[in-house]
Amino acid sequence: MTSVTAAPRGVDADPEVDEKTEAPPSRSGNPWGYILRKIGLFLLTLWAAVTVNFILPRLMPGTPADAALARLAQNGPVSEATKAAIEAQLGVPTGNLFEQYIQYLGQVVTLNFGVSYTFYPQTVSELVSTALPYTLVLVGLVTIIAFILGTLLGVLAAWKRGTWLDTLPTVGGAFMSAFPYFWTALLLLFFAGYVWRLFPTSGAYGPTATPAFTWDFFVDALYHAILPAVTILITSLGGWILGMRNTMIPTLGDDYVAFAEANGLKPRTVALRYAARNAILPNLTSFGLALGGVVGGSILVEQVFGYPGVGYLLFNAVTNQDYPLMQALFLMITLSVLVANFIVDILYGVLDPRTRR
Amino acid sequence: MTQTRRRWGAAALAVAAATTLAACSIQIQSAPDPSIPDDTMLIAADTGSPMMERNFNPYLANKRVASFYIYEPLVILDNVTGEEFPWLATGYELPDPSTIVFTIRDGVTWQDGEPFTTDDVVFTLNMLKEFPATDTQGVWGYIASVESDDTTVTIHLQNPDVPAAQLIATTLIVPEHIWKDVDDPGSFRNPDPVGTGPYQLGNFAPQQYTMDKYEGYWQADKVAAEHLILPGSNTQLDIATRGYDWAYSYISDVDNVWVGAGNENTYWFPPGGTIALFPNLAKEPFDNLDVRQGLSLALDRGAVGDAAAEGYMDEAGQTNILLPYQQDDLDPSIPNSGLIEQNRDAALEAFGRAGYTLQGDQLIGPDGQQLSLSITTANGYTDWLRGVQEVQRQWSAIGIDVKVSTPQPAAYQLALRNGDYDFAMGGTGGTGSLFRDFNSLLSTDFLKPVGEEASNNFERYDNPDAQALLDQYKVALDDDERREIGYQLQQIVYNDLPVLALYYGGSWGLMSNAKFTNWPSADNPYASPKTYESTPLIVLTSLEAVK
Amino acid sequence: MTTTRQPMRDATQDIRTVQPTGAPPNPWQVFARTAGTIWSNGKARLGLIILAFFVLLAIFAPLIAPYGATENGFDRSADASPEHWLGTTAAGEDVLSQLIWGAQISIFVGLVAGALSTLVAVLVGLSWGYTRGFIADVINFIVNLFLVIPGLPLMIVIAAYLSGGGIGMIIVVVVITGWAWGARVLRSQTQSLRSRDFVTAAVFSGERPFRIVFREILPNMTSLIVGSFFGAATAAILAEAGLEFLGLGDSSIVSWGTMLFWAQNSNALLTGQWALLFAPGLCIALLATSLTLINFGVDGISNPRLREGKQR
Repeated sequence: MTSVTAAPRGVDADPEVDEKTEAPPSRSGNPWGYILRKIGLFLLTLWAAVTVNFILPRLMPGTPADAALARLAQNGPVSEATKAAIEAQLGVPTGNLFEQYIQYLGQVVTLNFGVSYTFYPQTVSELVSTALPYTLVLVGLVTIIAFILGTLLGVLAAWKRGTWLDTLPTVGGAFMSAFPYFWTALLLLFFAGYVWRLFPTSGAYGPTATPAFTWDFFVDALYHAILPAVTILITSLGGWILGMRNTMIPTLGDDYVAFAEANGLKPRTVALRYAARNAILPNLTSFGLALGGVVGGSILVEQVFGYPGVGYLLFNAVTNQDYPLMQALFLMITLSVLVANFIVDILYGVLDPRTRR
Repeated sequence: MTQTRRRWGAAALAVAAATTLAACSIQIQSAPDPSIPDDTMLIAADTGSPMMERNFNPYLANKRVASFYIYEPLVILDNVTGEEFPWLATGYELPDPSTIVFTIRDGVTWQDGEPFTTDDVVFTLNMLKEFPATDTQGVWGYIASVESDDTTVTIHLQNPDVPAAQLIATTLIVPEHIWKDVDDPGSFRNPDPVGTGPYQLGNFAPQQYTMDKYEGYWQADKVAAEHLILPGSNTQLDIATRGYDWAYSYISDVDNVWVGAGNENTYWFPPGGTIALFPNLAKEPFDNLDVRQGLSLALDRGAVGDAAAEGYMDEAGQTNILLPYQQDDLDPSIPNSGLIEQNRDAALEAFGRAGYTLQGDQLIGPDGQQLSLSITTANGYTDWLRGVQEVQRQWSAIGIDVKVSTPQPAAYQLALRNGDYDFAMGGTGGTGSLFRDFNSLLSTDFLKPVGEEASNNFERYDNPDAQALLDQYKVALDDDERREIGYQLQQIVYNDLPVLALYYGGSWGLMSNAKFTNWPSADNPYASPKTYESTPLIVLTSLEAVK
Repeated sequence: MTTTRQPMRDATQDIRTVQPTGAPPNPWQVFARTAGTIWSNGKARLGLIILAFFVLLAIFAPLIAPYGATENGFDRSADASPEHWLGTTAAGEDVLSQLIWGAQISIFVGLVAGALSTLVAVLVGLSWGYTRGFIADVINFIVNLFLVIPGLPLMIVIAAYLSGGGIGMIIVVVVITGWAWGARVLRSQTQSLRSRDFVTAAVFSGERPFRIVFREILPNMTSLIVGSFFGAATAAILAEAGLEFLGLGDSSIVSWGTMLFWAQNSNALLTGQWALLFAPGLCIALLATSLTLINFGVDGISNPRLREGKQR
């Protein structure tokens, strides 16, 4: 979900859980068969994703050395020797594709992706472990906040249907979620960062600070995270509002809600305890997927704010054809989305007894 | 309905507000950080991605830029003027075209106090041989052996090659007493660098580091800035607002944005190379000189340069010489300093000689087809793209069907090397060495058939006369003789059009006179204004503090 | 739509359930009714008006735009003036003209890429939903693969691979990365319709599966398909802008995305040209909003409870 359209966009939010409408365990059959089949499918998808991750970077024309040389050639002619030296430094892949693939599978299993081409001589694990915490905290927290806030506003909108409490969040949310991420980021950066000088304009912490588990550093890091966080919040909030509103409204019409009301329960209790609780289920799917996508960071936002997260790293890796780094990041993202999907699937069964059968 | 109308009105209002706001532009003012003292220079030289790795190994591509302020070469070659500055060597001689004798400067010390000796030079060169990954300039493609005594280092070349001296002389020298213990200099990150240069590493953080003046520097009295600050993020907005003393960056509308921001800002954009169109000479009809002449005469190079660099760079002469700062090298017999004016009639006449005639608004060739070609440029090199679009306009106007192809940089590089293009944008010249400028452009040594990777001579120019001149240059010890050969090489480029020079690529120097003065400028062009490679050493030892 | 009978809510069912009335409806009737329902929704009406505005702008760009899109030679980075209402770019082009011409590309990419990815989603989703067993597993596997591979990086790789292809390339990229989600939504709906009586009846009457899927089931999912089209078109417009902004598209064409790219490239904010940055972004946002708003109306067709105005 690192895509430009990161958060599920409102009306498009699919209340469907992966595999949910998959043929349920046949009532007469063995439930273990169903579970084993799902695990098998999970592993197969994982293998395929791993393989695609291997193929994708190699589809790009030119080698990592070409990418490096193209950067150098902007400053003048590059000699044969420079090319040779750069290839020697990068350790540009040798062997045929099959050998590379076997080597790569070995790396996947041992989670050792070797040395990055772009950031040579830094290793992939060094780079990822530096970038990941920033992305997890920034994008992760914002995703959670956006989900909670959006869901509450969605409930409100559905409950107060037709009033301004409905129109404002829905139309406003639709409008805000239509902002291109980078555009919002640029405007915020310019005004809040440069014109009014309220917030720092780049980095994850002050220029002279060094990461440490201290209060000062925490405050500093928080201060630097505000603008990127607000950007992501603005552009993703709408999706959650619309998603919740649209699943909430039909629920409000359900018989049991009417029944609860008829029994004299307070409207608010009905809305929150009964209707919202049921309506939130489909949105949990999207939320799970969004959380899984968090490790991919937010390329455009991190790019504009010079935020040292995974998204920035990923963009660098892709544009510089850094195979090892790309493979590791793609694997990480794919894995977490798959796992998140899996967890949501299970969670769904816990929360909605009807799917358990 | 009223609700709808109200919303619609709100939308219209927003658009109106946007339009009104657009009318009043916001002038950004430079606001230097008051906590930075007057003896400290803020430089936009290094760029993190976005964090900076503590890597000061001068031979790695991912080194911190300040490695160039720590490690020094024997001789600095300024690429704007083509002038040599004796540095760790007081000079060098070539007793014959295969031998170079460097005289090493006395009284230079490493930043840890150890004396700098000829042994360090010999060690460095031998290390480059042992670890080819560190030999980024490829000096061991020329060197046969190295020997030294107390004051001189003598290098024997594999073949007579006078211009190789300059290349070898610009190698950065590292201390033997530290690097002899390094296992693999090809992956060593050198976190605590010790060099001979004017600055030592101060505090290092991943987003900013500082450099402190080395008081024992061999020309310490000439170093005005006591400290340097190098942030890892230097966006154009940062540069314009943060009160930088020195930056290397292209800024759109620089008079308004940079100079207009105050802080005694000034700029100098000397030519740093020639941006040219490389025709694919292995392809018909571009192998036909008449066609190239027609294409060349159809170009309004001034307009191309204007489009590409927003009017800040001049059109380039068809000589591969950077003017005005390398005027001395220019063949005076070439008319109009090599500038070729747009001339539609002459262009059509040249095309006519090749069998192309203008029919209606199409230039039709002998095969009855419209002359059609594509121009390849790298995606993301926006100045080139702007230039190409202008070329497209101009060539279309004379009846040529011009397509533009913009692959990603790596794919562009591959197309260029493999000769997989009709015309490609590219840079030529600007190394500071006349020989290398022409050698990489014309030498048949680099010649490869289309489909195989060429490392230079991408246009696949095959002229034995040019190669003969280059070979003569390699053994010419006399300055006048070399200049004469240079004239003849310029004649070849001017008459035979192996490339179509368009405009000069700029060296985008932005400086502030608030704390330091005597920056290189058009009036005092003593060195390139760039902040990377070794020429900043010349600038850093020429500046004067204001207070 | 009063004949519509709401089923007991079941979490395993898609909410946008259309109750089939038996025979496949006449397409024109469906269209007229759909349009009517959408128009009756205030939000959707606003969306339609905005969309119509931009479409007209795009169609009549040659008449409306004061200058050509790439016509340069005006003062560089000029402020707004009577000649140039929104100023000029760093390359000396008229911003307002670029904005008007740019509507063509953005709308074209949005509609074509939206339509194509919806088409793929319909083909895959419906066959997937109708088939069972091995083939369904294979499709499931492929769709899952496309859903888990990170979108923007995938776009970047494909864009690099197909580089130099102009807007055609962008459309291909958007379609490749955008169809899977819709396919999954449509599949679950197909599955829930598959077990309905009218489908069972068709099966017993000996109709071929292809006919059942595309003649019996498909017409009952019109609103869902229209909905996913608008969703896909919105995503395509934003994706085009994102790709162009990152410089991975074709920066020689004039679209709102490339305008933003050039604005950023010449640092329009610094040169005070901020209409150049502000206006294209606002247009993208308005266009994408209009599609989302129309979708409110579309939702109303498939689920009458989502219609405007009626309290529970």
